[in-house]
Amino acid sequence: MPKLVVKNLRKVFGTFEAVKDVSFQVEEKETLCLLGPSGCGKTTTLRIIAGLEVPTSGEVFVDGVLVNDVPPQKRQIGLVFQDYAIFPHLSVFENIAYGLRVRKMPEAQIKTKVHETAALIDVKSILDALGKKLGLSEMQRVAIGRSIALNPKLLLLDEPLSNIDAKARERMRAELGKLQKEIGIATVYVTHDQLEAMTLADRIAVMKNGLIEQIGTTSEIYDNARTLFVANFIGSPSMNLIDCELVYSEERAILKSGDFTLDITEFAETIKGKPKGKELVFGIRPENVSVDIEKTDPTAVEAEVQLVEPLGAKSIYHLKISGVTVLAKGHPMAEVNVGSKVWATFNKDKLHLFDKKTEEAIF
Amino acid sequence: MARTKGVAKNIVRYLLLIVVCVWTLAPVAWMVSLSFKGPTEWYAPNLMPAQPIVDNYINLFIPTNPIGGSHFFTSITEPITKPLINSLIAAGLGTLFAVLVGFLAAYGVSRYRAGGTFTIFFTLLTRMLPGATFVAPLMVFYSSIRFIDTYVGLILLYTAVTLTYAIWLMKGFIDEIPPEWEEAALLEGASPWTVLRKVTIPLTKGGLAASALFIFILNWSEFLFALVISVTQVTTLPVQISKYVSAVGRMYGTQASLGIIATIPSVALGYLIQKHLVTGFTFGRIR
Amino acid sequence: MSITDRLAQWMGKTESFKKLSTLPLSLVLNFVLIVPFAIMIYLSFTKWEPLAGYDWWRAPIAGIPRFIEAFADARLAWALIRTAIFVAVVLPLEFLLGLGMALLLLGDFRGKKAFTSIILYPMMMPWVVVGLGFYLMFQYFGPVNLLILRPVFGEGGMIDWFTDPVLAFAVIILADVWQWTPLMFLIIYAGLVAVPNRLVEAAEVLGASPSRILRTVRLPLIKPLVVIALIIRGLEAFKVFDIVYIMTGGGPGGNLTEVISLYVYKLAIVYNNTSYACAVSLIIMVAIALITRLAIRPLEVKVE
Repeated sequence: MPKLVVKNLRKVFGTFEAVKDVSFQVEEKETLCLLGPSGCGKTTTLRIIAGLEVPTSGEVFVDGVLVNDVPPQKRQIGLVFQDYAIFPHLSVFENIAYGLRVRKMPEAQIKTKVHETAALIDVKSILDALGKKLGLSEMQRVAIGRSIALNPKLLLLDEPLSNIDAKARERMRAELGKLQKEIGIATVYVTHDQLEAMTLADRIAVMKNGLIEQIGTTSEIYDNARTLFVANFIGSPSMNLIDCELVYSEERAILKSGDFTLDITEFAETIKGKPKGKELVFGIRPENVSVDIEKTDPTAVEAEVQLVEPLGAKSIYHLKISGVTVLAKGHPMAEVNVGSKVWATFNKDKLHLFDKKTEEAIF
Repeated sequence: MARTKGVAKNIVRYLLLIVVCVWTLAPVAWMVSLSFKGPTEWYAPNLMPAQPIVDNYINLFIPTNPIGGSHFFTSITEPITKPLINSLIAAGLGTLFAVLVGFLAAYGVSRYRAGGTFTIFFTLLTRMLPGATFVAPLMVFYSSIRFIDTYVGLILLYTAVTLTYAIWLMKGFIDEIPPEWEEAALLEGASPWTVLRKVTIPLTKGGLAASALFIFILNWSEFLFALVISVTQVTTLPVQISKYVSAVGRMYGTQASLGIIATIPSVALGYLIQKHLVTGFTFGRIR
Repeated sequence: MSITDRLAQWMGKTESFKKLSTLPLSLVLNFVLIVPFAIMIYLSFTKWEPLAGYDWWRAPIAGIPRFIEAFADARLAWALIRTAIFVAVVLPLEFLLGLGMALLLLGDFRGKKAFTSIILYPMMMPWVVVGLGFYLMFQYFGPVNLLILRPVFGEGGMIDWFTDPVLAFAVIILADVWQWTPLMFLIIYAGLVAVPNRLVEAAEVLGASPSRILRTVRLPLIKPLVVIALIIRGLEAFKVFDIVYIMTGGGPGGNLTEVISLYVYKLAIVYNNTSYACAVSLIIMVAIALITRLAIRPLEVKVE
């Protein structure tokens, strides 16, 4: 039985529809990530699950029980806020013990539980420190510890890493991932950082304007983006998206964008019959465009390098192919500079085609 | 279920609020009521006067109209126009000077650390000490230099007494202005005075006005020093009230009307600065 | 002009400005406060009154008998005790009622602005008028007796409030509480509102009930603010004069509700016992200055 079921959630603030129609499920021990840009309704959804907001319509089930009318105090859900909301006037110990004291747990038991949790989140050394004196990553751990000490049925995290600077974020991401595996509670994780989502989640729900664009496992989302938005949002650097039209010429199906052409005859069967206006968008991720100095692949096309972004292990090449700009991700090649002529090969298995108007994927 | 709880909570809230309002409004309501009652109703419990009159108010200004017999008004024979004007003058000028001197000093302390810790300590101290402890030497001093019962004496005293508040409040407002703007002007060659005029004052206008009103209310209400200094010439309204209460004993109606007249300016001004009160400047912006 | 020249000029001006800015302040303070203060110190070591027949600056130094007199003065001791009791009763009352009002007004509801305005106005009334108002209300034939006590307890239930020292004191306390609770309310309310909502929500999610949240989150976080407010209110309460003067004049019996300000005032103005008044004033000033010095130091650190 899924730990969390969210059904047709809708939330209106005055005239603003923050959440339009959101449904999803989270299984035990699973981490679902609500991913999307700010204002897409992901935090509102989270707050509705926690009970801090009342939905305009829709239902929330925790462990099979309808909790719409249950106040946040009684939902047995853990929530970690974006700014952690640690009680500044209490020590780390008291912060973690807060919920336990509410439950009137005997003192000895509280002590054991707090120490247990503290060990898990690695705060044993600062148990006596006051909340307001903690650093950001310490606060985050205490916030998590405070929630999990109660063995909640569900753990909600609201953009837990967005307050942390880039360098520390990598480390925290790893720690968080490790912690999730150890604790194993069903988790809903809200973020706008797609890298976080890809790393930490089992499944991702990409949200935009109060609706879920697509929900699936990380690989599904990455490889089989179903809408333009999802395709563009996921992946760093973003997928190349090029407006084009489908033209048939001599039994060949060709994607044309200005002077640029891409032969997709091998997929002619799949796209036949699928809605196809003149306006399409084709997409291919930079890592699926390989760059070489010599023409090693018969389908390779000539490209001029406009910019090279060295990223260490890989480099990003901004290529101009027949008037169209394409980004490619490949190995660093010392000989390649601005202005060099290289050969680009498109991995057609990883090709996406979108209808420009509906933004839906054709394949 | 959550919704009915909300309604019940609101009903309780409004009920309690009404209780608080009754408690808050009671004294003034009673005074207003008394002020419109004739002597026959002064000892009666009714809130609404059965026969409302305005004589109480009129008699304050024209006491040749004794109510209910000539044995009233034996000690208070002047109209209250003089005390009223005295209050206005003393409070008004006292506030003006307190604001001027205080603003300058606050600015000096805030930006240039003028005066050092002693000034601050001293200004704090004047606020802490009971006014009564100054009365004895003040009397001696003032009689020696003939400041008793003079406007100068009273105004000077009012200025001094409210200076602490003035400095405290205005320093808070000055501190809120980023010094960079003033420094920019200074580096362009402006003198500190010009900076004050062109930069600081326009920016703190709101705070200055609010502080001035607050200090005016304080001066308007001031009693002890006015009581001590005044004899016949500079009696202020609060002093007049105390004279009424001790002299005419049971003349509730006139006492009430005098009280109402004395209250109106200070409550009216109080409403003007209410917004500032709510943002916490009442206790000198300690933060 | 070069930059350095300009800077030098600026420096020169700031120096003079610095001194000038506090000059008026010093003048006023010196004149009105420090000179009398000096006089006070001098006189407390003499024995002089306005009726002594000679000018005060010719008064012979008599040493410390005034101070000894002060320590043996029972009336002084009583005045101090009464004032202390007054402060000790008034502060908790104002705090609790202020807290109650603040909690009552927390949150959004219709008419909040109007209710707030009403609640606040007592602070803005002249103290004397507050005294007058309560004096009128608690008269024997006043509304408290006629509208509350007589209907409930009958004719015999009416009380002569101002002839009993304890009851009169109670009315004085009531007047002060009535006037200054709104101040405590204001400060506490501002503090409560400043508590970040997130913390309240975090506590909610952890299972805390509203009363627990009040106790464990809200109140602890406003504690520093409340302490400052109580100190300020306490100092002002200690100075109470106006309402006592108007309502009882220190009576009944001449001095049974006499607070310290009233006693010193009487010494100076009514009894004309100038040098003794100076001695007593000096003692009080020194005491307050010392206590404040001691109390302020730990606070100064906190306020930083």
